[in-house]
Amino acid sequence: MPMYKVKPVSPADIKIDVPSCMYKSPNVHGHGMNCGEHALQNGEVDPSLKALEERQDEVLRRLYELKATVDGFAKTVTTPDADLDASTPSPGPAESVFKGTADLDSLLGKDLGALRDIVINANPARPPLSLLVLHALLCQRYQVLSSVHVHSSVSAVPPPLLSCLGPRHIDSYARQRFQLGFTLIWKDVSELQMKFSTQSMCPIEGEANVARFLFRLLGAEPQDPAAATQMDCWIDKAVFQLSEGGSKDRAAVLRSLNAALGRSPWLLGQEFSLADIVCACFVLRAGQTTSAPVNVQRWLKSCQNLGHFDCVYPFLQ
Amino acid sequence: MTKENVQGAGEEEQQAQSKKALKKQQKEAEKAAKKAEKQAKLAAEQQETDEDDFAKDRYGICPMVQSQQKLDRALVRVQDLTPEKAEQQIWVRARIHTSRAKGKQCFLVLRHQQFTVQALLAVGERASKQMVKFAANLTKESIIDVEAVVKKVEQKIESCSQQDVELHVERIFVISQSEARLPLQLEDAVRPEGEGDEEGRATVNQDTRLDNRVIDLRTTTSQAIFRLQSGVCQLFRDTLINKGFVEIQTPKIISAASEGGANVFTVSYFKTSAYLAQSPQLYKQMCICADFDKVFCVGPVFRAEDSNTHRHLTEFVGLDIEMAFNYHYHEVIDSITDTMVQIFKGLRDRFQTEIQTVNKQYPSEPFKFLEPTLRLEYKEAVAMLKAAGVEMGDEEDLSTPNEKLLGRLVKEKYDTDFYVLDKYPLAVRPFYTMPDPNNPKYSNSYDMFMRGEEILSGAQRIHDAQLLTERAMHHSIDLEKIKAYIDSFRYGAPPHAGGGIGLERVTMLYLGLHNVRQTSMFPRDPKRLTP
Repeated sequence: MPMYKVKPVSPADIKIDVPSCMYKSPNVHGHGMNCGEHALQNGEVDPSLKALEERQDEVLRRLYELKATVDGFAKTVTTPDADLDASTPSPGPAESVFKGTADLDSLLGKDLGALRDIVINANPARPPLSLLVLHALLCQRYQVLSSVHVHSSVSAVPPPLLSCLGPRHIDSYARQRFQLGFTLIWKDVSELQMKFSTQSMCPIEGEANVARFLFRLLGAEPQDPAAATQMDCWIDKAVFQLSEGGSKDRAAVLRSLNAALGRSPWLLGQEFSLADIVCACFVLRAGQTTSAPVNVQRWLKSCQNLGHFDCVYPFLQ
Repeated sequence: MTKENVQGAGEEEQQAQSKKALKKQQKEAEKAAKKAEKQAKLAAEQQETDEDDFAKDRYGICPMVQSQQKLDRALVRVQDLTPEKAEQQIWVRARIHTSRAKGKQCFLVLRHQQFTVQALLAVGERASKQMVKFAANLTKESIIDVEAVVKKVEQKIESCSQQDVELHVERIFVISQSEARLPLQLEDAVRPEGEGDEEGRATVNQDTRLDNRVIDLRTTTSQAIFRLQSGVCQLFRDTLINKGFVEIQTPKIISAASEGGANVFTVSYFKTSAYLAQSPQLYKQMCICADFDKVFCVGPVFRAEDSNTHRHLTEFVGLDIEMAFNYHYHEVIDSITDTMVQIFKGLRDRFQTEIQTVNKQYPSEPFKFLEPTLRLEYKEAVAMLKAAGVEMGDEEDLSTPNEKLLGRLVKEKYDTDFYVLDKYPLAVRPFYTMPDPNNPKYSNSYDMFMRGEEILSGAQRIHDAQLLTERAMHHSIDLEKIKAYIDSFRYGAPPHAGGGIGLERVTMLYLGLHNVRQTSMFPRDPKRLTP
């Protein structure tokens, strides 16, 4: 039976115009190829191939050198005294973020054998989220006796605010066993206020200023004045533009946050600091975090991963 | 010559006589003229009174109410006279606070407890001149029945409590007349001290007030104070009953002085003598040993202290609590402080009118407190005082000025007028106080302060007969006298603690007053036994 014959679609010999930039390789399937002539035996390498390899190695080496120099320059420009091989990833879990030491006696005055109690008066309409985060950090470093009170000027306070400092410590009946006291009083005040030693210290007003004071107790303040100023600058931006400014100011701050966070994992570079705590809390309180720029969202996620911010989430609507 | 002289003198005499006579005559003439005038006036008045007194039956002095008849008449309280009752004709019974006549009108201010209202009586077709005169002559503080029409006023009457209405009187009768001369004027009794000095008007001395307590208690300020005090007592009872406490009554005539021999009153008891109880301490504890678990009692306390201070009385009302606890005496402190906070909250929320009334005469800062109550340890207090420059030993008791200073320091730092001081040194507490397990120099005792003054002294009590005997011997107390007390712990006693407050002192400190006699209705002190 005759088979189905397919007519040829194209004629056999077409002249193809090969572009001149391509290199021609010999036709392996062509006729008249004599294997014997061009065979490479015993791992001998074709000299032209060898030359090619050498050239390639040379080029790659020079590329690496260039890259290393450029990296070095980048690091010296952005981080004044960083190690050249300090490309560490984001800090790990919440365990010991701040390893500095602080001399409580010099910061808070001589220990006269009694509990050193820090008193914070806050308005329940505006819970100070950054102070809650700092409280969690303080509890990791020191033995802190935390208590929450409601002042008679306020008639009722929602239950989450009463337990915002966590469960009552088992030993809370023995005040002397604690190094620090943290007393939060919900009161009808216009501005958040902190009192410590009424004889020798005037009250500190404003959430950001109290945050700076508490951060000093952790001993993790940046030693370098430039970094310290930058930290203060970020905190002031958060206070004056994020929370007290209009929507334009807020948008501007979010943009500058985004830009800064594009360059490094945390606002001050490689280290988590008070600037991150305060700015993150103010951004979270302003709301609309899902519409924030990409880097800001990534940064908020990292903050959350640290674990210190868990106390803050119940207060966000 | 003498004849001439005599003659001359005679003439002069005659002249003088005639001068004298003239003068006399003149005088008589004047007198007669005056008399005639008076007579004419009287005649005219007679005429007036004889004129038709058409309102004769609309005023007068009622015969003494001996329950002669049962009138079906509803009396409206001054408190309820509001614009809603405008144009209604109603009867009111009240006291005359002031009365002022002005020509053909008479303005009365009628008062009932804290409330005052203006009433107007004008000569017209309903009231005669005689009626207005009668009303103007009524003595202050008399109790009267008035039938009147309630009228709205455009301009608020600032001086009365009912500012939007006034009464137009139709009938006015006296139920109980007051004597004309009052020992003290109510307006003076309500005047704030400063105002009195400035404007040169009188204020009333405390002794005068206390001697005429019945009239002094009628003032708006006194009414407010004692209503608030009644509220304190009621809130105390209600809060504790809700917590499952049982109210008990303890005997006040006892056989042995409980706290110490010196400050106790002796009474003759048939053939022997007995004492008036200084505190219900012993009996509260016996109730705990009798398985009542949580008890409180409200009753008089007698302290024979010869201290004439602003905060001591020889007899006062004590509100005492005693409670058995499970493992730690802080359970009791929490319960007591929660009760106090509930009392403060209740006063803040329900007695604002009374607080404002008292503040008008005795201005003070509103009372502030924290919930849960602030608890400081004695060591912290000593540290705070030392930081403020006070020199004192670690185990020394707090003197009254130090207590006041500490109150101010706590107020500055924590902004609270009420706090608890825990873990007092053992040496300054009574023999039945339980020592601290960790430090023998301290004890499980506590004091509570309001506005820097102590209101409650309490502790965990020793519930073991052995230890109690040791401590009593250490304090050189005669064991025979307290044998019954120690015996009550021999047959199984639960660990317990408690404390007591003075009703008058708490009211005084809550309102920011300065003398406990202002909050005691008929106070007793070393110098006063009546009324």
